Amino acid sequence: MKLVTDVWVLMGRKVREALRQPTWVIMNLSLPLVLLAFYAPLLHSLAGAPGFTRGSVLDVFVPGMLVMLAYVNVTAAGYFLLMELDSGVIERLRVTPVSRFALLMGTVLRDVLAMVVPALVLVAIAIPFGFHPRWAGAAVLMVLLALLTAATAAASSALALIVRKVESLTAVTNGTLMPLLLLSGLFLPLSLAPQWLRVLAHINPLYYAVEASRDLAVGTIGSATVGQGFLVMGGLAVLAIAWATRVYRKAAA
Amino acid sequence: MIPNRTALGKATDAVVVENLRKSFPVKGGTLEAVRGIDLRVARGEIFGFLGPNGAGKTTTLRMLTTLLPPDGGRALVAGADVASRPQDVRRRIGYVGQRGGADSAATGRENLVLQARLYGQRKAEASARAAELIDLVELSEFADRPVLTYSGGQRRRLEVALGIVHHPQVLFLDEPTAGLDPQNRANLWDRVRALRATGTTVFLTTHYMEEADALCDRVAIIDHGAIASEGTPRELKQCLGREMVLIKPGPAARPLEDLRRDLAAERFVEEARIEGETIRLAVGDGGQALPAIVARLQSDGVPLETISLSAPSLDDVFLRQTGRSLRDAGKGEQS
Repeated sequence: MKLVTDVWVLMGRKVREALRQPTWVIMNLSLPLVLLAFYAPLLHSLAGAPGFTRGSVLDVFVPGMLVMLAYVNVTAAGYFLLMELDSGVIERLRVTPVSRFALLMGTVLRDVLAMVVPALVLVAIAIPFGFHPRWAGAAVLMVLLALLTAATAAASSALALIVRKVESLTAVTNGTLMPLLLLSGLFLPLSLAPQWLRVLAHINPLYYAVEASRDLAVGTIGSATVGQGFLVMGGLAVLAIAWATRVYRKAAA
Repeated sequence: MIPNRTALGKATDAVVVENLRKSFPVKGGTLEAVRGIDLRVARGEIFGFLGPNGAGKTTTLRMLTTLLPPDGGRALVAGADVASRPQDVRRRIGYVGQRGGADSAATGRENLVLQARLYGQRKAEASARAAELIDLVELSEFADRPVLTYSGGQRRRLEVALGIVHHPQVLFLDEPTAGLDPQNRANLWDRVRALRATGTTVFLTTHYMEEADALCDRVAIIDHGAIASEGTPRELKQCLGREMVLIKPGPAARPLEDLRRDLAAERFVEEARIEGETIRLAVGDGGQALPAIVARLQSDGVPLETISLSAPSLDDVFLRQTGRSLRDAGKGEQS
């Protein structure tokens, strides 16, 4: 089928591009590793406190880092799209009979692949420090993270095509970054938070991803929290991809 | 009612445009970028689209290549309507934009194979076609190097190859030789002519007059969103009905502007302008005007380096149509 071939061929282009500059693996990993080294030790005295009752401190902390890894780096997807718009590559591709959906998905799927590699490295590094993932849960967790990455990549691309300026795009992505991260309970579980903060967190999609990923890391696959996480992330991914496809179709690149 | 009266074009037309319109919202109103233009490009023709910055040239090209939906009117490209059958248009046309569009990080070969795959060629077929094109545009030595190491001329050759991967019926080139040195420009002209020889229609925009003159079978001049004139370069120059007297004064002459003003007042001179160190006079009849002008210059004691009579250039046509020299109008054009 032409669509599958198109997505495959376009993903190949972006994968080759990533392989030529393998430094991104280290760049994407640097923040989670720094936090693992210099921030996670602060949490050890919290063992047993609300939110830290299950497993080790790292069993709570590392799943949050994985969500961060799947979200933060890929907010830059729109920035790279703007660079390719500038070079005329996107315009050239838009004059071929390739579908706009394939054009978008080639990049989105590459971004998903590019998330899985450092995520697995992070898991491997965290294990000797006291992270005890259950393998089935971790596999399902990767799928959840893939949905988060796809949603973020698509939304960032759509936004880029609408605002057309790196400055405006950076203002939006950076402006929302810290609030979303803090309100997700990613650094500290929100069970430590006052009531109003916990209520606020419920309008943050990342919160559901973090909660679900903590369940999945310790092997609780069938919980309602996991179901909610998939519902929110899956819904967002579908919405963001539909939105971005629409923008791609209309945009006069 | 006569059937076919309003039917678009003939089977032999590669591009048929009728009353095509496009406006953009701007601060405090709308900008009518293209105001109902008509165009016809015959199959196998090299068609030049000339116009200054902001004339509607690129907007028209973007509509014809399905990148921009028209607001009104119709455009048939390679037999398909750009608005209702964009996919058919895309399959049948090639496009080389001003910014080229080659993927810099990838090699030339990777670019070509990808492009061929996107037009539905199988892997083996795409590789063979890429190899063929690499030979055709003489990139064998560089085919497996990243495009970012290419020179301007090599890059442009690759981009043209990308545009013809699928043997398009119509190839659109937006300012194809902008920024190329004379040698590379001549090389590209040869390639465009070779494409015409194989039956490909070429639709190009340019602001190099000598390019339009030397390369194009027909040209249209667009200004302020409307077609100012259309025809073969020869027709356009003839319909100007003038000849040009070119005067280059010697080193000790008066300021050029003084001289121009004096000459403009002469009886035979219809128009006088300065281009570089030369004064260009448009005259009705060169045979009568030239002796009179020489006599006038001699009595004024103006030393002459050269004086010559020439046919009008396409630039003279352009100036006449738009009130601007294309050379100036084209300066700094990027969009």
